[in-house]
Amino acid sequence: MAFHFIRVVVATAKMNLTVTWRFFNWTGFALRFFMPIMTIGSAWILFNHVYRGALSPQFGSTSGYSDYISFITIGNAFYVFVFAAAFVVGRVMFWDRAMGTIEAILICPMSRLAYMAGVMLAAAINSIFDFVAVFFIGIPFGFRVASFNAFFFFSSMLLTALALFGIGLATNAITLILRDRTTASNTLMNLFMVFSGIVCPVSLMPYWARMISRTLPLTYGLNVMRASVLGIATADQMHELLILLILVVVYIGIGILALRLVERHLKKRALLSVF
Amino acid sequence: MILRVIFAEIKKNFRQFFFSSRVLSWTLVLPLCNALYLYFLYLPFDPKLINLEFSNAVFALDPVGFTIVGQLLYSFFTMMILSGAIFDSERQQGTLESVLLSPANRVAILLGGALANAVNYVWVLIGVLVSWVAFLNVNPRVNDFSALFASIVLSYASIVVLGMCIEAFFIHSRRGIMYGTMLQEPVMFLSGLIFPLQVMPKPLLSISYLLPLTFGLISVRLTLLGGASMFDVAVPLCILLSMVVIFAVLAVWLIGYAEHNAKVRATLAEF
Repeated sequence: MAFHFIRVVVATAKMNLTVTWRFFNWTGFALRFFMPIMTIGSAWILFNHVYRGALSPQFGSTSGYSDYISFITIGNAFYVFVFAAAFVVGRVMFWDRAMGTIEAILICPMSRLAYMAGVMLAAAINSIFDFVAVFFIGIPFGFRVASFNAFFFFSSMLLTALALFGIGLATNAITLILRDRTTASNTLMNLFMVFSGIVCPVSLMPYWARMISRTLPLTYGLNVMRASVLGIATADQMHELLILLILVVVYIGIGILALRLVERHLKKRALLSVF
Repeated sequence: MILRVIFAEIKKNFRQFFFSSRVLSWTLVLPLCNALYLYFLYLPFDPKLINLEFSNAVFALDPVGFTIVGQLLYSFFTMMILSGAIFDSERQQGTLESVLLSPANRVAILLGGALANAVNYVWVLIGVLVSWVAFLNVNPRVNDFSALFASIVLSYASIVVLGMCIEAFFIHSRRGIMYGTMLQEPVMFLSGLIFPLQVMPKPLLSISYLLPLTFGLISVRLTLLGGASMFDVAVPLCILLSMVVIFAVLAVWLIGYAEHNAKVRATLAEF
């Protein structure tokens, strides 16, 4: 059973990687870097030219960081995993439907979760390239690594990717229902972009925004990753990893449930391949 | 006849899209998220006011107003860019040939498409006004209502005619939506939406001045938040007026050229 699950994961990941690299889309590839470049560039201009290097005292006291550009760069680098979850995993079944293969895939005696995990694995492998690239983009703007705590760095990356995978599953369900290519994915990406603390510490946001950010896995993942790279790893990060672990379980649970319900609903009404 | 075509195009789009999840997402959720994102970008600096310099005068603007007003105009600009994909959509639906065979005025079709997207803009206005009143405390400072009115009208008009040019340009392309999306971030950066234009690196400033959004942002922000008079914003208003005329003429020429070219090469319905 477990072997079969792994075989499906590997086969799906392999198929997705082959399709991505064999039919490489330069425009789509470049488009993924527009937002990080614009955000890091704008932050650089605000920091150096508008405010001449003067940060608010609350920035350092509440977040514990003093390096603003590195703060922004790490936020943007980590954001690439949201793209993978929202735009790749979140639209798997939409594309299967568009290509006319959705019925064949659902008839196939394999675990849906393994299939989606395979897609996420391929997306994560592709995202690692983007992740590293954004760090390199940040270097000319002033990104510096103060320290490196491998445990916190990789645990935050893995747990965030898993939680995002759960959210991707739920997005898939929404995309199938809405029959829309980009709505659910774009909305999800924007919520993460605004409320996860990519451009400012969550503690500086208004109260209602902080409430939203507490439900997002990227918020905790980002805190731990920043701490691991900017040299402030403390017991707080263990606490945040624990919350992240709980969110992984919750979101994957919600994702599986949502996908099952939608699949059952679409099968009952014979709407699976209706487009 | 022209008015009927425009009205029909608006009605068609309204029925098809106005209440769709896609329009709600693009015109309500995304602009509000984007405005918040821009505002949050300023929070690490604890800004009380943002100084916007223009024509040797400095206007101190409220940061929330700066980002929200910017987003209001930018959303409109984005919608006009994306309305450039109108022929792309017709082509995908297999209706492009029928549309172009009909004796409807092409410019009227384009204008109708652009105005239909402008109708969808109602969502942004509602969303921004509600959030303005409910969550954010922005204090508008208007000293000259005629200057504000002229700024809004000319900004929107110049963006609509630019949208028409882009629509005509995209008739050749099978990737209109992709190009429309690609333009978004560079325009955000170059137009002065995120930060005041006076700190823009000089080599990029000349590109900024080609965008009607740049002058629209300057004039609307100054008249709505900075208490600027007609005299203060005379230069950007004149530039916007010139852009309306130039882009309108260009749009008429471009659509004629694009249609002729596509017919000669028989690539209209090719996908």
